[in-house]
Amino acid sequence: MLGQLITSGIAIGATYALMALAMVIIYKTSEVLNFAQGDMAMLSAFVAYMLLSDYGLGFTAAFTGALAFAFALGAFLEFAFLRRAKEPNLLGLIIITLGLEMMLYGIASWRWGADQKDFPFPVSDFEVHDLGGGVVISDLNLVTLGVACALMILLFLFFRYTKVGVAMKATQQNQQAARLMGIRVGRIMMLTWGMSALVGACAAFLIASTDTLDPNLMWTPQLKGFSAAVLGGMTSLVGAVLGGFILGVVENLFGGYVSVEFKSVVAFAVIVLILCVKPSGLFAKHYVRKV
Amino acid sequence: MDMKRDYYEDIRLLDSGPQVFWLIALIAALALFPFLAGSYHIYTVNLMAIHVIVALGLNLLVGYTGQISLGHAGFFAIGAYATLALMQNLGLPFLIALPLGGFISAGFGFLLGLPALRLEGPYLAIATLGFGLTITQILGRLDFLGGHMGLQSPALNIFGWTVDSDAGRYAVIMPICLFLAWGLRNLTKTRVGRAFVAIRDSDIAAECIGVNLTYYKTLAFAVSAFYTGIGGGLMAFVLGFISPHTFNIMVSIMFLAMVVVGGLGSVLGSVMGAVLITWLQLELARIGELPYLGPLLTELSKQVFTVSGLPNVQYVVFGLIMVLIIIFEPLGLYGFWIRTKIYWRTWPF
Amino acid sequence: MKKLLVLTLVIAALAVAGAAWAGPVQGVTDTEIKIGQWGPQTGPAALWGAVARGTGVYFDLLNAEGGINGRKIKYFLRDDGYNPNRTKAIAKELWEQEKIWGFACGVGTSPGMAVMPYIIKNNIPWVGMATGSPHWTQPLKKTIFGVYPLYPDEAQILTSYAIDTLGKKKIAFFYQNDDYGKGGLDGCLRELKKRGMKLAADVPVEVGETDLASHVMKLKKAGADAVIMWVYPKHAAIMLGTAAKLGYRPQWMACSTLSDVALMFKITKGLWKGMIFGNFAELPDSTSKLMLKYHRAQQKYAPKERWGVFFYAGFGFVEPMVEGIKRAGKDLSVDNFVKAMETLKDFQGIMGPITYSAERRQGIKQVFLAKCEPDIMMVKGKKITYGKGKRLSDWLKLD
Repeated sequence: MLGQLITSGIAIGATYALMALAMVIIYKTSEVLNFAQGDMAMLSAFVAYMLLSDYGLGFTAAFTGALAFAFALGAFLEFAFLRRAKEPNLLGLIIITLGLEMMLYGIASWRWGADQKDFPFPVSDFEVHDLGGGVVISDLNLVTLGVACALMILLFLFFRYTKVGVAMKATQQNQQAARLMGIRVGRIMMLTWGMSALVGACAAFLIASTDTLDPNLMWTPQLKGFSAAVLGGMTSLVGAVLGGFILGVVENLFGGYVSVEFKSVVAFAVIVLILCVKPSGLFAKHYVRKV
Repeated sequence: MDMKRDYYEDIRLLDSGPQVFWLIALIAALALFPFLAGSYHIYTVNLMAIHVIVALGLNLLVGYTGQISLGHAGFFAIGAYATLALMQNLGLPFLIALPLGGFISAGFGFLLGLPALRLEGPYLAIATLGFGLTITQILGRLDFLGGHMGLQSPALNIFGWTVDSDAGRYAVIMPICLFLAWGLRNLTKTRVGRAFVAIRDSDIAAECIGVNLTYYKTLAFAVSAFYTGIGGGLMAFVLGFISPHTFNIMVSIMFLAMVVVGGLGSVLGSVMGAVLITWLQLELARIGELPYLGPLLTELSKQVFTVSGLPNVQYVVFGLIMVLIIIFEPLGLYGFWIRTKIYWRTWPF
Repeated sequence: MKKLLVLTLVIAALAVAGAAWAGPVQGVTDTEIKIGQWGPQTGPAALWGAVARGTGVYFDLLNAEGGINGRKIKYFLRDDGYNPNRTKAIAKELWEQEKIWGFACGVGTSPGMAVMPYIIKNNIPWVGMATGSPHWTQPLKKTIFGVYPLYPDEAQILTSYAIDTLGKKKIAFFYQNDDYGKGGLDGCLRELKKRGMKLAADVPVEVGETDLASHVMKLKKAGADAVIMWVYPKHAAIMLGTAAKLGYRPQWMACSTLSDVALMFKITKGLWKGMIFGNFAELPDSTSKLMLKYHRAQQKYAPKERWGVFFYAGFGFVEPMVEGIKRAGKDLSVDNFVKAMETLKDFQGIMGPITYSAERRQGIKQVFLAKCEPDIMMVKGKKITYGKGKRLSDWLKLD
């Protein structure tokens, strides 16, 4: 039982990790908490669903199309709304993302209604591998884990070794200075939002294939992803992924051995306790701001 | 003319003659309102008044002290449940139970303020979010408070007068709301209020000039929770029935939206934000019935969207209004108000 | 002089009687009855919003047939988003501004509970709330008539079926951690207690939960051979998927809120096969005369709606109300309507037999059970497997 709980915890943790990665990407460049993250991803999943079932495309074409849509959506939202904000303060920007969340939710429910839909996915969640001792993990879990780790490594390399990635980090540290150094901050932001939406969409596809597709799909994963990101330190990619795993495993162990009722709540309690010891999360450097 | 010449000008309640006039006009209008409006409108205004109380409390925390909270639905729930429990289980009269409920809520606010001493930004957001979720979860477990079945509010008795109409509840809520608004305005102009603002602008600098961070941060949380708790206690009677579900996370988020859309760090802003968002929540559902726009939306639904999903337009419009307000005016509705005032000041020159 | 006095008295008496007889009843004219309903068209519970839209189509059908006793129904549907604040505002708005006569259905326990005191105070007829919570009818309220079979009763029926007919020994209960799920749990516990048995496991799930691995492990560890589910469709789907993955295969049973078999089969990717579930209304492919008529009405008035159980439940929940209005005749005063409702005895539309009396406000006490069996249909030349309910029993009643 212990083994299975940990394995399942890591499997679900991988989906939290993906959402956490998506949040971290935006936070890393603009320090904005993006409440629209989940619903951007949800909308992309619906687009994939539409391409698959209404237009009869194959999986490769449909998912590519939906990912392209996700990137465009993210970039568009940044360009059309966040960048337009006059003398923005952080809370204002957060409320803008909240407003966007409501708009996207409204559009998806308006277009597709509230009925749950089954989201077809090429990888099965019922094909399982025995890890020994009756502990099983499904194909889909493995794919999710793989995607989460691969994206983490790719993003890590991207931020560390590419010019654009470094420009993104520079933008976070000081927008004004970045602009003076010749970085086109607007474009960087747009790119960030696009990338983040892309990662979020991957999460949504994987989550929708074990869950059912409806407009409320991503609300809980978004909160969990947000928690995982905070646990990991909000700016650290590795932290986000490990935060997701820790969250998933803690939840499952508590649910399995103590109480399923307080499972989600305990995760928050653990996070608050950890934050009391390390106020900036597990993997981020704690900067003391200058006065 | 905005020049303040001495300290007393800064702390006095009303700045100018016209303000006195408008204040009296407002109080008169509020006093006359229940005699002129139907029960439905009075109910709406009751909801607005309660949300104003909560928005004031939250604004003290977010707008004045610079601490974020995504868990105020938790305080709202504590206030509501505590007030009802004190009345039903201990038999206390409403006028004692309500402030006591507020103080219990303030106690929890103080506790939540402790981790806030070390946390900021998203970290604090998650901690408060977890607090809000935990409270509703625990309330669901407490069977003497109705558990998940919820709790029906008892009859509201004040000195032998049984309040069972919306107008009656209005007569209870509105004075409390005005009193609390006045109290908050006063608080923000005192030493305490300036300490809060100093913490918002830079907590380290504030500490350097002698503001006790531990004391003032937890105080901000406690006062904010007190206001929200009072709002919750009143809500229990306006709604007549509460269950843990009534205090979900969307409620917390809407409170935050009220404060930011209204205008951070302003009493008038809180009032405007709470009124606008409550009104939108109640009235936008009927957007499909508007002339011209309604048929247009129905036609659009038939062509592109689904007709059964049409009511979701309210979310799109709601979100858009929030976004547009913040985009055009970072200070929210209060900012619009200030700009209008400045524009007309020199009129017609 | 005396004659004049008598005449005056007679006229006065007539006037009083007339006032009592034809006294203006709010929301009713000679040609119109105004009926309102709130229902979540948006937000997390929008799935059940189909009920309110179904009622609308039913009223369209009735109006096309000439209305009830010559009166057409004017229907007001308001979206409350499952938010009690809004439900209460809607109730006030409909009653005070639109001047409606009564309320039909209404989804959700919290929204309904927020409105109930107002409805009692104003003596408004309210028939057929779409939840099986016992709050509405216990204790009895004069103008409130329940239709939906109570959750505890239904759970008792399912439990005894599992033990008696299926011969299961270890029953477990998987429920949503709120009023709805707890109602089912109570019934299951009651039935087991009666038989001196114990529940193998009770596993609650929170509304926002998406990961059910530890829930499955709990059930599996308890070794339950039958699991009764009292949850949202979403959780039922995740539960079946996770259980299949972890190799746990008990006999699954589900309550009537999960009786939309075609939808459930689809969203569980076929795992719904073999599910035994309670039903409060005829199965969607029923060939009873009424069902066919209603189905035709749906195709005519709302062709884009899915013919699912919650859509036509919107017809079924108001059938007794319509029958009561019919029986009340021209005088639709609340007292007269209540009297007419109390004459309903084993009235049957597309749901179980409905009985009201002076002491009884809970209409249906029966459910029937069905089993999900896949079937194949041809859509555009392609074979598609879909879920179909096979009736296992007649209307079952608690002894």
